Amino acid sequence: MSGYRSTTKLALASSQPSVKAASKQPAIQVSNLSIVFDTNRGQMIAVDRVSFDVAAGEFVCIVGPSGCGKSTVLNTIAGLELPFEGEILVEGSPVGNPRPDIGMVFQQPHLFPWKSVRRNIAHGPRMLGRSAKEACAIADDLIAMIGLKRFADAYPNTLSGGMQQRVAIARALANEPRVLLMDEPFGALDAQTRAVMQDNLLELRDRIKATIVFVTHDIDEAIVLADRVLIMSAGPGRILREVAVNLPRPRSSAILIEPTYLALKRDCLEVIRAEGLRAFNQSDSS
Amino acid sequence: MEIGAEAIVQNKTPKRAAVTAGADRPGRRPTSGRFRRLNVLVGVLSIPLFVILWELISRSGIVNMVLFPPPTVVAAAVLEWMRSGQFFWDVAASLYRVSAGFLLGSALGVLLGILTGQFPVVSSLLSPLFQILRPIPPIAFVPIVILWFGLSEAGKLFLVVWGVFFTVWLSTHIGVQKVDRGLIRAALMLGTPRRQMLQEIILLGALPYIVVGLRTAVSISFYTLVAAELAGTFAGVVYRIEIAQQNLQTGQVMGGLAALGLISFIADRLFAALAERTVWWR
Ligand SMILES: Nc1ncnc2c1ncn2[C@@H]1O[C@H](COP(=O)(O)OP(=O)(O)OP(=O)(O)O)[C@@H](O)[C@H]1O
Ligand SMILES: [Mg+2]
Repeated sequence: MSGYRSTTKLALASSQPSVKAASKQPAIQVSNLSIVFDTNRGQMIAVDRVSFDVAAGEFVCIVGPSGCGKSTVLNTIAGLELPFEGEILVEGSPVGNPRPDIGMVFQQPHLFPWKSVRRNIAHGPRMLGRSAKEACAIADDLIAMIGLKRFADAYPNTLSGGMQQRVAIARALANEPRVLLMDEPFGALDAQTRAVMQDNLLELRDRIKATIVFVTHDIDEAIVLADRVLIMSAGPGRILREVAVNLPRPRSSAILIEPTYLALKRDCLEVIRAEGLRAFNQSDSS
Repeated sequence: MEIGAEAIVQNKTPKRAAVTAGADRPGRRPTSGRFRRLNVLVGVLSIPLFVILWELISRSGIVNMVLFPPPTVVAAAVLEWMRSGQFFWDVAASLYRVSAGFLLGSALGVLLGILTGQFPVVSSLLSPLFQILRPIPPIAFVPIVILWFGLSEAGKLFLVVWGVFFTVWLSTHIGVQKVDRGLIRAALMLGTPRRQMLQEIILLGALPYIVVGLRTAVSISFYTLVAAELAGTFAGVVYRIEIAQQNLQTGQVMGGLAALGLISFIADRLFAALAERTVWWR
C-alpha cells in the first residue's frame, strides 16, 4: 500500500503542473479521490487516492490501461457518480450532481435517436430555459463549426460514427460548459477519421476556451492533444506520472516525428511498460 | 414475450437489410425479374383460384352443401345481411367493443407499464400479481364475467380490456427498462431535470416497444371480442355468426367469419401504418 503511495507523491513532485494553477483558481481540483464498487465478490477499489488539478483553459489527457478507472474518475467529476472518499471541486464548488457548466462526451455518441442533429444540439439550451429559436440558432452555429450543415435535419441513425461523435461534441458544447470531459470519444473510430477528429477538436478548442479533460488509451493521441498527460496505473487506478507536453501550438500531425515528441513518447511508454510488467507479475503471483 | 417483442422491434430497424440480402445472391439476378413477375401473377390469382375451387367442390356433390355452401351462397347471405340493416349495427357494436376495450386497456397498460418500469417499488408490488394473472387466457374469464356483469356491455368491455392490458403493460414495462442508460446520462449532463426525464427520454426511448405491444394488442382485442360476444349479447358480428349457426345458416356463418377477418385485417394494417409514423425516426 504505502509503496505506490510514495511513487504518486514522487511523481507529483517531479513535475511542475501547478505553475499556472497557483496564480488562478484551478478549474478542477481532485483531491484524494477513492472510489469503491460493491461487487458480488465484495468491495472493489476502482480508484485509489487520486489527486490532480487542472488549470483553467488547460487540456489534460488521462491515459491508462483498460479497466484502470479512467471512466470512473471522469464520471465522478461529471457528478454522475459519487466519490467514496475525497473531494472534487469544479470551478471552486463541489460536484454532487450533473451541472450544466460541466459538459461530457461519452465513448458512444448517445445521441437522442428521435431528434434531428439540430434538435439534439439544441436540447441542452432548451433544458436551460432558452427559447426554441435561440436554441436553434446556437445549434446552427455549432453545426457550421463541425461542418455538418448538410445534415442538420438528419436523424442520428443516418450518420456515420465519426459524424455522430462530432454531433455529440457539439451537443456538449451547446451549453457553453466551462469544463468539457471527454471519455475516449474517438475510441470507436478508424485511424484516419480519428486523426481528422483530433484536428477538429483542437480547432474547436481554440474557439471555445473550455478546460478539457480527455481520456484515451492512445498515447499518441494524448501527446498530440494535451498540455499535460496523466498516466494511470492498472486497477486500482492511481496516477503514476504527470508529463507536461511543451510542444508548440497549433499542432499538426507533423509533430509525430519531431525529436521532442519522440522523447516525450519514450518517457510515457517506459512508465507504461514498467507498470504493465508490475501488473502482470502481480496478477501472476496472486 | 420479451424475446418476441425484441425480435419484432429489431425486425423493423434495418430497412436496408432486405436490399443487401437480395444483393448477396448475385447468381439469381438474371432470372429474378421473371421470377418476380411470376410471383406477382400467382399472388393475384391465389384468392380467385381458391374461391373457384371451393365453388366447384361445393356444387360437385362431394360434400354436404348445407354445411359447406359455395361462395355464391355466402355472398348472397352477406348481401341479405347488409340489406336487412343488421350488418351496420353488428359491425358498429363489435367495433365499439374492440376500440373502447383497446383504448382503455392500452391506456391502463401504458400507464402501469411506465410506473412499474420506472419505480422498483411499484414493480415489486404489482409485477408478481400481473405475472400470475397474465397467463390465464381471457376467455377463461367468461363465466365469472357473466356472474359479475350479466350480459351488459360492461362485461364485454372488461374482457377486451383484460386481454389488451397485460400485453401492453408488459411491453411498456420492458421498453421503459430497456431505455439506454447512456441516453439518460447524456440527458442529465445536458441539464435535463430528473422530473422531465420521463417525457424527454424515457417515453420516447420505450416507444418502439410500446408500439409493438399495442400492435399485438390489436389482434388480442379481436380474440377477446369473440369470447365476449359468445358470452351472450344482442348485436355484434360474432353474435350474428352464433345466431346463424343455431339456424343452420352456414352461408351467413361463413360471411360473418369473412367480415370479422376483413375488419381485423384492416385494423391491423391501419395500425401498422400508424405505428410507422409513430416511431418517426426509424
Ligand atoms: N458500476 C460499476 N459497478 C461495479 N464495478 C464497476 C462499475 N463501473 C466500473 N466498475 C469497475 O471499475 C473498474 C474501472 O472501470 P472504468 O470503466 O472506470 O475503467 P476504464 O479505465 O474506463 O476502462 P476502459 O479503458 O476499458 O474504458 C473496472 O474494473 C470496472 O469493472
Ligand atoms: Mg472507460
